[in-house]
Amino acid sequence: MTTDSLPANGDPRQLLSDVHALARRVRLDQRLTWVTLLVLAVVTYLGIWFDVHFMSVHCTAEHVCRFSRQGVLYYWPPVLLLAYAAIAYSYIRVARARGLGARVMPYAITGAVTTLLFTAAWVAERIYWAGRALPANPQPTPSWVLFVDRLIGPWGMIGIALLVLARLERNVALFAFTVGYLAVVLVPINFGWIGNGGNTRTYWVPGQVISATVLLLGAAGFALAGRRHR
Amino acid sequence: MIDAPDPDAAHPITGLDDVVHQRVRLGILAIAHEGRRVEFGYLRTQLDLTAGNLSKHLSVLEAAALIEVEKGYEGRRGRTWITLTPAGTTALADEIARLKQLIARVETSDTPEDR
Repeated sequence: MTTDSLPANGDPRQLLSDVHALARRVRLDQRLTWVTLLVLAVVTYLGIWFDVHFMSVHCTAEHVCRFSRQGVLYYWPPVLLLAYAAIAYSYIRVARARGLGARVMPYAITGAVTTLLFTAAWVAERIYWAGRALPANPQPTPSWVLFVDRLIGPWGMIGIALLVLARLERNVALFAFTVGYLAVVLVPINFGWIGNGGNTRTYWVPGQVISATVLLLGAAGFALAGRRHR
Repeated sequence: MIDAPDPDAAHPITGLDDVVHQRVRLGILAIAHEGRRVEFGYLRTQLDLTAGNLSKHLSVLEAAALIEVEKGYEGRRGRTWITLTPAGTTALADEIARLKQLIARVETSDTPEDR
């Protein structure tokens, strides 16, 4: 150990490499990615029951149905806000116990903002449809509308907030995972349950199960990787 | 991106700050910058120093107003937290820029004729 101004190995390359290695070590010690994904997976699984149970469906004799996903509207905003608060608290607590500060607040704020954004969009959509009569011969919804609908839903917004977390943590693995997650959420997956006259109430269940399972598998993967790292 | 070094410009080594251009102190600044705030014990483990040696380096950085040291308690356990000051952030960025300039300078002057 030395206190000299000139280091024993004063090679600038070595010094710079040491600085980068230390910074990387700190970033790894600040991460709690698996907890984030686990909380979001649990919240998504629970949300399925609320969506199915509280959905209001009214069908006409011509089998044209009007539905309202009350569960999504009343369950997701408060629960997502609580989830982001819990994630931020866990990050701060764990980082503090490890002797570090946390860099999670911008993620929690982004999560809260995206939650408010999706809530506003869903309320606006509800107001739009509220006073309108059901069309006698409904046309299929354009695919871009469905895409936007999936993006501004809670599942899409979870992905957008995760991209912010990946950027904050400079976490390439989380970025790659989130891109995959968003692809699963935004691109409709159909193994035959859509368009076969299925139940309106359970129409969205498979997609939500897939989203939640992807998050859960991600949580397991990041937990294992973190354990190996430590 | 690093600009090509100007051969007439002052050598980057002349701008190095002795307080910062030291392996341990540079490490302290790098960790405090990345961690936002960092506890004494974490620094000691990461830099593999004795408490006395680390305290000495922290005193140098504190005297230069590059860090702030905050002492407190968590339960009955005393804890010391270190935070980078704005001057510390600037000093770290300057040091890294100069190290990059030095590397660039060495690489451009390392021509076959020099060997």
